[in-house]
Amino acid sequence: MKKLVKKVLCIMLCLSMTVAIAGCGSKKTSKSGDGKLDMSKKVKIGVLVSDTTTAEALSFRKYYVDYIQKQYNVEFVYSDQMKDAAGEKSALDTFITNNCKAVISFSSFDRASQLEQCEKAKVYYAVATGTLTQKEYDKYKKYEYYVGAVGPSLELEYQTGYDMAKHYLDKGDENFAIFGGALPYYTEMHIYRVAGMLTAMIEAGGKDANYDGAKTKDEVIAKLFKAGSVSTGSIGTIQVLGYVGGYDMDDAWNAKCKQMVQTKGLQILLAVGNGSDFFGAAAAKAGVKVASVDAYAKNYGDAMQGKMLDYMAGKFSASIGPIFIATYRATLGAPLHNDKGEAIALDQGYWVAQNNDEFQKYYKVDSSIEKPAYTKKMLDKLLKADYKTFKEFVEKYKYEDIQTIGE
Amino acid sequence: MKDSGRSMGKRLVGILAIPVGVLMIILILCGAKGIRLFATEGNWIAFFQATATVMITTIVLSINLNSGRFDFSIGSISLLSSVISASICIRFGLATGPMLLISIIAGAVLGLCSGVVYVLVKLPPIIISLGITLLYEGAAFTVTNGYGVSFVANNELVSFPSVFNYIIVIVLCLAFAIVVFDHTKFGYDYKALLSGQKVAVETGIHEVKNAIICYTIAGGMMGIVGFLSATNTGTIQMALNFGSISIMFTAFLPMFIGGFIGRFCNEKIGYFIGALTMAFVSLAYARLNVHSSVQQIITALLLVGFLIYLNNEKVIKNIFGFRKRRAEKNYEV
Repeated sequence: MKKLVKKVLCIMLCLSMTVAIAGCGSKKTSKSGDGKLDMSKKVKIGVLVSDTTTAEALSFRKYYVDYIQKQYNVEFVYSDQMKDAAGEKSALDTFITNNCKAVISFSSFDRASQLEQCEKAKVYYAVATGTLTQKEYDKYKKYEYYVGAVGPSLELEYQTGYDMAKHYLDKGDENFAIFGGALPYYTEMHIYRVAGMLTAMIEAGGKDANYDGAKTKDEVIAKLFKAGSVSTGSIGTIQVLGYVGGYDMDDAWNAKCKQMVQTKGLQILLAVGNGSDFFGAAAAKAGVKVASVDAYAKNYGDAMQGKMLDYMAGKFSASIGPIFIATYRATLGAPLHNDKGEAIALDQGYWVAQNNDEFQKYYKVDSSIEKPAYTKKMLDKLLKADYKTFKEFVEKYKYEDIQTIGE
Repeated sequence: MKDSGRSMGKRLVGILAIPVGVLMIILILCGAKGIRLFATEGNWIAFFQATATVMITTIVLSINLNSGRFDFSIGSISLLSSVISASICIRFGLATGPMLLISIIAGAVLGLCSGVVYVLVKLPPIIISLGITLLYEGAAFTVTNGYGVSFVANNELVSFPSVFNYIIVIVLCLAFAIVVFDHTKFGYDYKALLSGQKVAVETGIHEVKNAIICYTIAGGMMGIVGFLSATNTGTIQMALNFGSISIMFTAFLPMFIGGFIGRFCNEKIGYFIGALTMAFVSLAYARLNVHSSVQQIITALLLVGFLIYLNNEKVIKNIFGFRKRRAEKNYEV
């Protein structure tokens, strides 16, 4: 009798454990019976940032914290400024311990490790304002907890640099200097932007123009990856009179920057990052025009008004709205995949201001927390949208296109 | 008279050997690459700007470090004081003069607060200064909403950089430091506390008051550094998580060089010459377009090499002395 009771108890215990384990493994869906998403519970989302002080990073944060967080039932938990991959791992551990259901990453020291860590912890992971390399994407596109990436692809970064240089080359300018930003640290997006600039110069430089022997886009990229810097000299009829890279910000670096801007004959400084803050004052004295890739911030507006900045390819702060929706949907049990059932990888570019009026027009929308570029009404359309609709929405990123979506 | 002249000559050699030696090496390197060290007015401005900021930072660092107080907060004082002064000047349309004055006052107040916290809390200064650093960095971040301060478009505020202005700043700061630390009662008390705190206190010197004044002077001078850095570029970048500490490390090598030169002249003039030497090096990095990683290696090697020399000076002198004596002996034979 005792044995029988034991057996029954064992079977019951096994059954209960099986049910419990199955319960743990089953994916919760917050969809109610009528297909609506259940947004009644607050969702915690970790935001991993490698930068907390630039205009771009602050604009993004403002959009999430001051707008999105007030419109949706979400709470953003921000990391400290990251300095390396170890810091990223530690910050992700903190998010996971804090019961974050998803992580939106702006930090790229080691994306592969971030992705693996989130997959292991069953926390959704998304890349904001960037993309994975094709090799990385091929590896991770089927991961259950990888939401995807929305941001400028490397191709788009290349095109941004190309367009910037071409804007001046078409006007007949021939003497350039380049600020390479994080190029010496082999940051891909900066390398591609510089490659775009140099390729445009090769095309404009005449028949035999080349950059250190490189004539095509791929050859230029390879040269930059090998050297980690830009060589000065002639590209056919076009001159690269100066180059500074890095963000040392010490006396020697500041002297280098000033010296470069004051190079005799220099007309245009093409900067892959913040150009006006580092070079603006010296450039204005020397009569050199500065073109930047950055964001829409007040100080850049002032610089543009004061003729310290001439051209801006800037990320708009609301550009991180769609990746938020994709991530939020995933946490609500309605993940978005492409037609093949893989994580999304969508291209989204910059707003380009070629004069102060354009800049001020973009800045007015970009700095608004009452009516930003992507409002809740617009983003709500994406909550249940299929991949095609989502893709079309993201790819219409230009200022004028977004106004059309808003209507 | 002959001995006095020889001694004077020896002192001059001691004072000038390092800067002249460094300059010679730099000129040879520049010559080999066909580059002029001082080719434009901009090069001169950069040189004197570096001399001024490094000299003041070195003097500030030495004020507390000589008394055993390691102060990590000097960079954050420079940051916050410049943020305060630039914000006020932009808001009320003030010129560079008031900006400098506000920077000095703000820096002195911040230094005073730092000193008061130190004497009240009585924790090791290294811990207090780290806490103060985080506090001031956070305050600067909050005041500017994280955006920093940019006044590149303000022609008045970015008009300060010029050789003449930097020379004035160098001369005034140097004179101030020499007068205060070498020719006032406070300075005598400061020196007495350096050489033996217990004895000095027993003779009636108030060490708490002295420490607070040291922090206040250091803060005020860092206000000048903040002003010089801000007006040089027209922008103040934010620093968090001890990001402002790096400014302190620029002063170590000139402080050691200055300490060595200080054997032959006033210590503060030694710091000036140390800063001058580093400004030559800094300009050479810029003119020769030296990669930042190479710069760091060279600076580290210079620092380590100099420390090795200072720590083994007697041994090195003995070796050379021995050789000299042996040479003299052989000559006599």
